[in-house]
This record gives sequence, C-alpha cells and structure tokens, in this order.
Amino acid sequence: MPRLRRDSPAYLTPPPSPNHEMLSSFCFCRSATRRFSYPSAARMAAVSTASEAKEPQQPPPVLVAKRLDKFKTTIFTQMSMLAVKHGAINLGQGFPNFDGPDFVKEAAIQAIRDGKNQYARGCGVPDLNSAIVDRFHKDTGLHIDPEKEVTVTSGCTEAIAAAMLGLINPGDEVILFAPFYDSYEATLSMADAKIKAITLRPPDFAVSVDELKSAVSKNTRAILINTPHNPTGKMFTRAELEQIASLCIENDVLVFADEVYDKLAFEAEHISIASLPGMYERTVTMNSLGKTFSLTGWKIGWAIAPPHLTWGLRQAHSFLTFSTSTPMQWAASVALRAPDTYYEELKRDYLAKKAILVEGLKAAGFIVYPSSGTYFVMVDHTPFGCENDIDFCEYLIKEVGVVAIPTSVFYLNPEEGKNLVRFTFCKDEETLRAAVERMKERLHKS
Amino acid sequence: MSRAIPSGPGQAANAQARLKAPAIDKMEAKLSKASRALNASPIQEISHLAQRCGAINLAEGFPDFPAPPQVKHAAVAAIAADLNQYRHVQGICDLLAVKMKQNHVLDFDPLTDFVICCGQSEAFAATILATIDQGDEVLIFDPAYETYESCIILAGGIPLELRISQVYVPLDPPYWTLNVDKFMRSFTGRTKAVVLNRSLNEEKIGCIKETNYNSYSPHNPTGKVFSKEELEVIAAACCQMDCLAITDEVYEYITFDTHKHLSIASLPMMKERTIITSSLSKTFSVTGWRIGWACAPTAIASAIRNIHIKITDSAPAPFQEAALAALQSPPEYFSSLKADYVARRDFLIKMLSEVGFQVHNKPQGSVFIFAELPKTCLLCDVSELSPATFPFIDFVKELIEKAGVAAVPGRGFFHGDCNDLTQQSRYVRFAFCKSNDTLSAADQKMRSCVGK
Repeated sequence: MPRLRRDSPAYLTPPPSPNHEMLSSFCFCRSATRRFSYPSAARMAAVSTASEAKEPQQPPPVLVAKRLDKFKTTIFTQMSMLAVKHGAINLGQGFPNFDGPDFVKEAAIQAIRDGKNQYARGCGVPDLNSAIVDRFHKDTGLHIDPEKEVTVTSGCTEAIAAAMLGLINPGDEVILFAPFYDSYEATLSMADAKIKAITLRPPDFAVSVDELKSAVSKNTRAILINTPHNPTGKMFTRAELEQIASLCIENDVLVFADEVYDKLAFEAEHISIASLPGMYERTVTMNSLGKTFSLTGWKIGWAIAPPHLTWGLRQAHSFLTFSTSTPMQWAASVALRAPDTYYEELKRDYLAKKAILVEGLKAAGFIVYPSSGTYFVMVDHTPFGCENDIDFCEYLIKEVGVVAIPTSVFYLNPEEGKNLVRFTFCKDEETLRAAVERMKERLHKS
Repeated sequence: MSRAIPSGPGQAANAQARLKAPAIDKMEAKLSKASRALNASPIQEISHLAQRCGAINLAEGFPDFPAPPQVKHAAVAAIAADLNQYRHVQGICDLLAVKMKQNHVLDFDPLTDFVICCGQSEAFAATILATIDQGDEVLIFDPAYETYESCIILAGGIPLELRISQVYVPLDPPYWTLNVDKFMRSFTGRTKAVVLNRSLNEEKIGCIKETNYNSYSPHNPTGKVFSKEELEVIAAACCQMDCLAITDEVYEYITFDTHKHLSIASLPMMKERTIITSSLSKTFSVTGWRIGWACAPTAIASAIRNIHIKITDSAPAPFQEAALAALQSPPEYFSSLKADYVARRDFLIKMLSEVGFQVHNKPQGSVFIFAELPKTCLLCDVSELSPATFPFIDFVKELIEKAGVAAVPGRGFFHGDCNDLTQQSRYVRFAFCKSNDTLSAADQKMRSCVGK
C-alpha cells in the first residue's frame, strides 16, 4: 500500500499519489501575457488547483502551455481520500498489494552490495538489453540488436513519454483507442499532437475498422495501441492487428504499442504488432518489469524499435531522465531470464484471483464484461441506479466500502464511460474475497 | 569534441519511413563543422582507446569508491521489506524542507513545494517542460555542457515542441568569472530563465552518441562556484528582467575552502522565481539510483509535478526509502565528504602541476579540474597541433597511450561565438571523484611517463 501522507490541518493540496491512476492532475491554464508589456504578477496566469487558497500570497506561476491543458480533475485523489476515510477496500489502484518474487529482489540487493550504484549507460545496462532481446525473440521470433534497438527507461511511462516527445511533431495526428490509460492524452498534449480517439465499445470492445479507416488521414503520424488493454481487459485479435497494420503500411503511420500486460494474457494469445509483416520497421514496442514481476515501484521499462525510431526516442530519453536505476536494471536482467514456470505460475495465480472477483461481481449484480488479459475487469454499474460512474464509485466507497475506478476519465468524451467502472484483481485473495462479500451484502439493485 | 550529435540513423531501412523519421539531412546540415568532419564520435574513440590500453579513467564524473554503507543498507532493507510498489515517500520532502531552512534559511512547504524525480536529470527536464514555452530563450553560462534542447536545435530534426533557444553567456577565463556586460547583453524580450549550471545535465553525451561505453559526465568542467557578488548580479538581473532562475545544485555539499554553497534562491526577491534542482547522486555517491528533486514555490512545483507524473510517475521506491536514511546523515558525514574531496583535489592538482599542466583555477566545487595544456608539453609536441587536426583529441589520445590516464577534451564544453578555438582546445578535464588507490596509480603512471 502506498505510504500515506501525514494528516495536517495546513494540508491543502492532495498528496501526490504514487499511482498515476489515483492521481490527478491539476488544472491550469496558459499564460497569455507577453514579457515587458505587463507587470510581473499579471504576466503569469493563475493556476486552479486544489491549492488555490495559497495562491494570493505568491505571484501566479509561469505555466506550461496548453501542454497540460487537458487535465483530468482530482477525481482520483478525492476517491482515494474518501476510501481512506471510509475504510474501503481498494480495488481501484492498479498495483499489487503483494510483493515481487524473492529471486528478483535478491538480485537487486546483490547488485547494490556489489557496488553497482553508479550511472548506467544511457540506453541501458548491456546485460539487460540482451535479456530484453532474448525475451523478445522468445515471444515474437524477431531478432533485434540490443545496442541499437533497445532503450531502457524509467518505467513504461517514460518509454511512452520518450516515444511521443521524440517522434511526434507538433500538429501530428495520433490515434488512440478509448478508454485509454490516463497519461497518454496528457503526454500527447505535451508533444502538441492532435488526438483522435476511436471508442472500443462493450461487450467485446472490438475495434471498428470503419471508424479507424475514416480516422486515418495524411496527417496521421501514429496509432497508439495498448494490448492487453487497460482498463477493458481486451486483447487485440490477430485480425484487428492485421487491419491496423495494413492501414499503417498504406498510410505510412507508426505504431506505439504499450504491451506491459503481455504476460497477463489469459483468454487469448498475446500478439505483438511488431511481429506482423512490414510492421517492425514502424513500431515502437514498449514494456516494463513492474506488472509482470509485481515490482511497480522499481521503474524499469523499455522500448524496442528499429534504429531510426530508436534514435529519436533516445534523444528524448536522454533529456528526460538520461539513465535508469542501475541496480534495478541488473535485477531486471535476472528477472527476464526467469524460466517459463515463473510465467505459468503467475498466470495461474492471477486466474484464481480473477475467478474470485468475476464470480463475485456477477453475484453482486454487475454486468461483467469478459476480460481476456491484464488484471482489470470492466463492469456496467447501471443495475444499481446511479446516474453516472463517478456517483456510483462514491456510493460504492461510502455505502459498500469498496473502491473501483470511474472510467469516464479514460475517454476523450467522458459521457462514453458513464456506465462503466473498473475493478482490479491484483490483490491477495483474502482482500478480494472480503471486497466481494461486502458487495454481495450491501449492493442493492434498483 | 563535437557537439554531441551522432552521425544519424543513416541505416534507416525504409525510405518512406525516413521521410517522416527525424529529418536527417536537415540535421546533418546543422552539425558543426567539427562534428561533420568526424566519422565517429571522438569521445567514443577515446573511451575505446582507454579501455584497450587499460587506462586509468579520470574522465568519468562518478565515483569508483563505494556508496556509504548505511545508505546502501537502507536500500537493501527497503527491498526486503516489500517497499517495491509505486510510492511517494513524503518523508523525503520533510527532510529537504528542514535542510532548506538550515542551509539557506528558506521556508518551503514539504507538502507542496517539492517534487521527487528520477534524478536531477528528470527534475531539470520537468522544470523546463513546465516553465519554458516555444520561442522562449534560456541563458546558460559557458563553458558548460549542452542541454538536450541545444542538441535538438542543432539536430534540427527532433520534433519537440519546445524549440527554445539557448543563449550562451561566456564566462571569462582563466577564472571563469562572470562578465557582467556580456551577461546583461544576453537578455532579450524572450528570455525566460537563467540556468545556473553549476553542474548541468551530465552524461547526455553518452546516450546521444549511441555508444557502447559507460557514459562520461561532462559537466561543470571548471569547478567554479559563483561568488556571492556574482549571484547578486544574476539575481538583480532576474528580478529586473522578470526571469526565472533554474539551478542545479547537485554539488551543494562538495564545495571547498571557504566557498560555502550559496543558493541564489536565498537572495532577496529570488525565492519566488527560483527552481532548485538537486539529487542524492554526488552527495552520497549513488549516481545510479536516480533520486532527485525540484524545489520551487508551490504553484511552480505543482506544474513540475504534473509533468513528472506523466514522464515517469514516480522515482524508484526502495531508493526513496534509502533517501530518508541518507538525508538524515549526521553533520560529520558532510564534513568528511568535503574533507575527502579537498584532499583528492589537492592531490590531483599537485600531480598535474608537477607533470606540466597549468591549473589556473583551483576548483571551488564539484569533482573536476579543468587544466590547461602546458606550453611545452612533456608528453607530446604541442606546437604541432592545430585546430584543423583536432589537437584536443590527439593530446588526450597521447595521454591515454603514453601515460595510461584518460581525461576529457575541454573543447566540447565551449559554445556560442567561440572566437578562440586554439585557446579552447588547450583544456582538458580531469575528475577526482576516485579512490585514493586510483589517484595514486594515475599519479605514478603520469610521473613515470614524464620521468619525474
């Protein structure tokens, strides 16, 4: 569980939560004034954050442009605070409440003791780059160059940021599939991209090829796919990937593939779009250690891409963080060489957890959509009579004592998510059972 | 040293993809003459040579001695105690706030004014992304190492929205003093910030050059610490021109003699417009842990935090825990850190002077000595060298081959309108963040080579 900030009466701003999904972002607007024409205070625009009460004492800040205009509200932080207040069981946070495997932790400890505590090479410790290459070969059959085609980053979050900042021109169009992981939109705004979203709809969240075809234009620079998909649990099928691939090849479009949940593929085989014909040369495949090895706080991620794309990504990476935590990289190279049995056991454990949650959600009265991968399940909450997902989540915390995530924040158009909420099963079985019990007892259909 | 631009992805297989890939031709056109003349990165060449010759590495700016045991122990304990999921360790902010008060008499709110990042690198990047807009100018003192933006602008091919302009303000040799006139004339209506690059964005060179070697840390080559008077001039200019000051204070505890680290934020009217960035790396010899921070007035910190969350989301969890132990080190830790570095500095200065280098400027801080080549070089014939043959490379190569010691050519630290190429080619940078054994071995090798 994340360590909580101490309570303080002077507290005005919610604590920065470690989990991007629980945090929010603060809204603020762009400075519109020019230098020297206005006095300093007016030159900087006001920020509307939860810390508004503090503003009057200081000159308003200099702000980022519309880079971070679109901002999601502090909904997650509010939920989090509410959850603590009501002692709710948290099935909202997208990270485990159990820890990673000993053999990986021991490798990190050994690396620290062995003095591997200084700067690693910017693009990654060679041993880890090799391990990534080996793993990728095992998974996709592709042979790649560890020196020229692999870049280690501080988590997949940074791989995504580096890909976007390094490869997207201002004004380029990027297509996303909604609902999407919340940092995509904000990071794309930082890159000044134009975002187009194609909605994946229940029950199977299939890709509408017609919508996709009409969305692709000569200005489309990239399509971002996340498979297995957070928050729906969807896994892109071979047919869908082939369709995306042919559009990309025809229109010379890149693909950014976020595949962090690739080892949590339960109901279907995970396919990396980079392995399809004609696709490797235009794909950035991103992954991380955190989800597969339950070590989300180590921040070890990577991007695999052909040299010309790696070059741009590395430029951005070298600016953003320059290099990644050394001892953890050594441990990651050990982790990635784990035998197949590790992955089989991981899947078995998660399948058992999933069964508890899914059966429980159905019994409680939700409309449960099948989740093929990730540790998330999307459900329709409308049987319980709430107006929208946020209201439902508040009700769920206060009256039932369980936390879920309202999904409207994962859409460009929040209306599209108002019937849906997301639960996670990356929790120990006891926690899952307790949550399910509460929901069965206390949720009342209207 | 070229301006850190690789020869580019000439190997792009897909011609169509190349059209949309970074504009390679545009990029190559903007490369400096020096770098275009080179096929391979000179630093790479030097590094390979150093490795082949088994040279002692006084080029890299990170320690070859271990991190303090109590700090390592704290990290190990955190991993074993399952503190491995996403987290924000608020205690770090609390401790930093105390230090700000103790060291600089500055009041910062630990709840709102600190952003913990993956190293000072990320803190700086997030600060730039949070405060600098397209078309803004940023003043940077020279010699320094280029930031990423500079590489972008030079490269011309990276499609980053920023397009900021860096304006280099030359410091005056031999003591790298602030030239007030040049400084003031550098401001324009677009100047947004002044960067106090006491130690700016190191190691960029490694990644950008797509190398196989362990990266260098070419930053703050001169070891200069701005004096109070100089900081007052800079502060007054920032206030008058309504600019931000962005500082990099990673060497805050490695300042020597009477030079106490003074943060510009503590000068009148500066706190509201200063962003301080720093990290654990140099103070605790853990450059590979990636724990740094930005400290700024609440609203600016908030913007920086927003960016940080989208770039990496959080710093490595177990090392955040270890930071608590590190930041609670007793005063003796900091005083012996300083004393140890002073001894190393003095040892290296003595060695370099006695083999013929000119060390005009005894470093006041950081871990580097910027030494000028001897007028009559005992190691090679300097008179044969000319800018056209990139003497800096040749000299450094000689040093590796003959003396078995690797250092960094100083030429690459200068930018902007550099009129005196010959002069700039005469500097070499040595690092002294090395164990006594390493320094003694370097000493022996150099002396035996020159027969002293």
